[in-house]
Amino acid sequence: MNAIAGQKPGLIWALRISVILLVGLWMFPTVGLFVSSFRTGDQIATSGWWKALFPTEQNLTLRTAAPDTQVQEADLFVIEGNLFEEATDAKISAWGTNAREIDAYGPGDTAELRGGERLTVAADGSYRLQSAQEMSGGRGPRVFVSALVPPEFTLQNYETILISGGSTDNLARAFFNTLTVTIPATIIPILIAAFAAYALAWMEFPGRALLIATIVGLLVVPLQLALIPLLKFHNEIGIGKGYLGVWMAHTGFGLPLAIYLLRNYMIGIPRDIIENARVDGATDFQIFTRIILPLSFPALASFAIFQFLWTWNDLLVAMVFLIDATGETTVMTKQIVELLGTRGGNWEILATSAFVSIAVPLAVFFAMQKYLVRGLLAGSVK
Amino acid sequence: MKHTLMTAAAVAALVAGSASGQDLIFPVGEGAFNWESYSALEKTDLAGEQVTVFGPWLGPDQELVENVLAYFAAATGADVRYAGSDSFEQQIVVDAEAGSAPNIAVFPQPGLVSDMAERGFIAPLGEETAAWVKENYAAGQSWVDLGTFPGPDGADGLYGLFFKVDLKSLVWFNPENFEDFGYDVPTSMEDLKTLTDQMVADGNTPWCIGLGSGGATGWPATDWVEDMMLRTQEPAVYDQWVANEIAFDDPRVVEAIEEFGYFARNDKYVSGGAGAVASTDFRDSPKGLFASPPQCMMHRQASFIPAFFPEGTEMGLDADFFYFPAYEGKKLGNPVLGAGTIWSITNDSTGARALMDFLQSPIAHEVWMAQQGFLTPLKTVNTDLYATDTLKKMGEILLSADTFRFDASDLMPGGVGAGSFWTGMVDYAGGKPAAEVASEIQSSWDALK
Amino acid sequence: MHPAIQGLLTIAFGVGGCVGYFYLSNIILDTLIFPARGKDIARNIRRANMVRPWLFLLPALLALGLYLAYPVVETMRLSLTERLPGGGSEFVGLANYKQMLAEAKFWEALQNNFLWLLVVPAASTAFGLLAAQLTDRLAWGNIAKSLIFMPMAISFVGAAVIWKLVYDARPPGTEQIGILNAVYIWLGGIEPQQWLTIPFWNNFFLMMVLVWIQTGFAMVILSAALRGIPEETVEAAIVDGAGPFQIFFRIKVPQIIGTIVVVWTTITIVVLKVFDIVFAMTNGQWQTQVLANYMYDKLFVARDWGVGSASAMMIMLLVLPILVWNVYNARREMR
Repeated sequence: MNAIAGQKPGLIWALRISVILLVGLWMFPTVGLFVSSFRTGDQIATSGWWKALFPTEQNLTLRTAAPDTQVQEADLFVIEGNLFEEATDAKISAWGTNAREIDAYGPGDTAELRGGERLTVAADGSYRLQSAQEMSGGRGPRVFVSALVPPEFTLQNYETILISGGSTDNLARAFFNTLTVTIPATIIPILIAAFAAYALAWMEFPGRALLIATIVGLLVVPLQLALIPLLKFHNEIGIGKGYLGVWMAHTGFGLPLAIYLLRNYMIGIPRDIIENARVDGATDFQIFTRIILPLSFPALASFAIFQFLWTWNDLLVAMVFLIDATGETTVMTKQIVELLGTRGGNWEILATSAFVSIAVPLAVFFAMQKYLVRGLLAGSVK
Repeated sequence: MKHTLMTAAAVAALVAGSASGQDLIFPVGEGAFNWESYSALEKTDLAGEQVTVFGPWLGPDQELVENVLAYFAAATGADVRYAGSDSFEQQIVVDAEAGSAPNIAVFPQPGLVSDMAERGFIAPLGEETAAWVKENYAAGQSWVDLGTFPGPDGADGLYGLFFKVDLKSLVWFNPENFEDFGYDVPTSMEDLKTLTDQMVADGNTPWCIGLGSGGATGWPATDWVEDMMLRTQEPAVYDQWVANEIAFDDPRVVEAIEEFGYFARNDKYVSGGAGAVASTDFRDSPKGLFASPPQCMMHRQASFIPAFFPEGTEMGLDADFFYFPAYEGKKLGNPVLGAGTIWSITNDSTGARALMDFLQSPIAHEVWMAQQGFLTPLKTVNTDLYATDTLKKMGEILLSADTFRFDASDLMPGGVGAGSFWTGMVDYAGGKPAAEVASEIQSSWDALK
Repeated sequence: MHPAIQGLLTIAFGVGGCVGYFYLSNIILDTLIFPARGKDIARNIRRANMVRPWLFLLPALLALGLYLAYPVVETMRLSLTERLPGGGSEFVGLANYKQMLAEAKFWEALQNNFLWLLVVPAASTAFGLLAAQLTDRLAWGNIAKSLIFMPMAISFVGAAVIWKLVYDARPPGTEQIGILNAVYIWLGGIEPQQWLTIPFWNNFFLMMVLVWIQTGFAMVILSAALRGIPEETVEAAIVDGAGPFQIFFRIKVPQIIGTIVVVWTTITIVVLKVFDIVFAMTNGQWQTQVLANYMYDKLFVARDWGVGSASAMMIMLLVLPILVWNVYNARREMR
């Protein structure tokens, strides 16, 4: 497609750089979430995700080991160990034992505690606590440290979301339920809409303009309004809450956009092709299946992608028409909203669950893209 | 107010095992539980009958309620299904209107029960239950009154049973920080204000206040105002305020709002400054207590908030609470603000009735008490079963209250209590004058009439 | 029955049923009712052609009528009634509308909606067109496009989470974890800002989320249109000595103006229904209310169906210009 010959090299570079900038801008928020999903809650709360690769200065509240680990050395009672529970390369720059002054001492200094104990903390976190009397209590004293903590990434968040067994956390069933909702809810409206769009684009009949206008008008009907009357209707005809109902609802709600997009595309197909076919004696049904459908493939593919994304990401329709009081037909978005509700303050869980929820739509998009591009090229026949 | 119900949740230990509906977490016959009430239940045979329960609890709380319902299932053979939703209020309305309601719905707000009872979506519980509540709950009559609403025919009836209570008048703090700075727990509002100034003088920030809660942003401030109302006015005035018999912009209400502003609108008093109050998430705000250096010293919030403390926080050691004190000078006693969930029958069946009977047996209360985050006004339970000392202490506050009042915003019509009151408090925290905010809330109330 | 099997059966029945319906109904029409043979052949073909559009349209019309048109009528009825305690309702005329017009929140929502209508479709289409044009001739253009399109795959709730992280503010003096505040401080700002609470401007921070999502949509559609432009017209312009900007604005844009309008309209409709973003990020507080969220508040929080329905009718009223314009366009095409 190198259409414009003789472009200046400078312009091409400007073009490349602006595309990179634009893509960068668009990617940035999502990348932030992606990086955050591999960090611990403490890290997210203390440093920006763009600094995730660098060591960060953190203020931590740690404890020495409990008094029941003390050993007697001559007339002293001693507790020794490392403040960091796991081996780490963190370097302590300052520490303190009182919330009044959390950076009172440097590494290697010795502090005297309220009870008369003496505490020495080294830069690597190893400490020695000694006392003339036997120490008591359930826990060791607090030590506030300011430390340079090396970057650390974890898969713990994904484990919590995907594997840990609680009923709210387990996404496996919801995943298959969502697929069950999504696939029929994508295919059926496309089929119905394609026929209708053809009729509206290429068939002459009275009231056509009015119908098109009505469909455009229906595009804007807010979903929230349709919920109660339609659920009532479903209950009356005996469908109740379930997959059949949610498929029908998604079909109904998706149709206006499908018809609108497909009709606008089909009307761009050159008149000659259709006229010639008519002259050759083809029926409308044949014209539709043999000419219009293949030519409209890009539009069909685009709509399929949009409808898939919409049904996959939908929460409202599923909650009203599908999820009943037994809770067995829950979908992904519902599970994630539940996680938001119960773990709302935790960025790491939010980030991870948001990422899990977009994995499939992204995969579908990248898989369908090939067809989309091929379809777009076929569309350039006109 | 659904968020007030996401009670204490640090129950990883309990949840760890497979908590499928049928495993009973406390073996029948062991421990100091009231097993007689369990055996009595076994006489009811509901084999093959499904009872659906729909409520606001999710995650760890869902495990807790399922553990309780498992005893009902085991004793009667019924197939009990609990489902929770974060948008319970919206979904129960849709389901009831469309005729696909669950057997039993667990409402976080009596206001919603009142609406739905009026429309005929809820089956009355009957005189017998009302008499039981009156006799067996501490301050029984008030619990009956809170669950009594006019039905579709205009006649009053008991439409819901309170099961699980939350305590709101609590101030959380980090005992070790108090120790380091030499602060004492205040016993009167005057002391609390002195302590607040003392903290500022020491270079600390006294309070963490966060009103953010997604779609429900603003509700934590309503709790503050309600608590202040009870500390500045007679309980009777509070009741008139709830019923809109005195206007929302009455000077007495405005005074209570400004009492909240005394703490929340002072840049020196709140972490992040007054501007951060409205947008800080309520789930994030208590974390300041445990930061290094501490971002604040105190946090006023209901009994469920420990669920949002950092992982590994030990109650009583790392975090503790004291009663949000009353003014010594006002002689209003020790008022306590609370809330609770109300269980109603939205789709009548023998199974639903049997489940309501189960909720009236001590064992249902005791099983939850012994787990986590459950307070009950039922007098016949064995209070030694409370899982932690913290819960027991809360139970004592509940019982020693001179005045117990239910969360006002939960009792007001949804458009006010879950609407203009919330948004109004956000505006107030942002700097709008209290009188102006109050008169706006009043006019939104007028619009509903 | 296992839902997966049920799903497969439904796909088979649904798709098979649809195809079968269209195929059989056409055969029946052409061979049994109006056979295209015998002495009435011309009249029969004409009659069959008059009926056929309705055969093609029937399933769509049924679904549209039931799932969209019926609720609209029902809404109109509800907006004129008030429900009575204990069931039933009474006709109250325009009282619900009067009540709505007297509410400050409604006017705020209306005003904000107009702001959204002005900014979001224009910005999305402009960014989309820019992205489509810039990536068109690059070898790695498709990768760039995929990345720009990616936000489209994210649910509104997910997007709200992402952007809340961008707008996050920490107390002054501590390190900022929201990129916007970090940049702001780095550029010399003193106090971190609570972006979503600054009246008027916070609307733009919310709009940014929708622009971010919708640009990918605009780009995909516009990029297809750009590729449909005949090469000859562009080449002719190059021969005439036109620069790249002239080619873009004078040659390319006019040829795809129809598609631009379609994209614009589609995004406008999305904007009118925008709900999840506002709901999840501010719930209409700090003066960011929009009509769809106002309606949700009235329907499900205040449970005032009358006013809720009235505000829904208001949204319909706003779309009327698009509707009229489309009717006009459709008429013109007929000629």
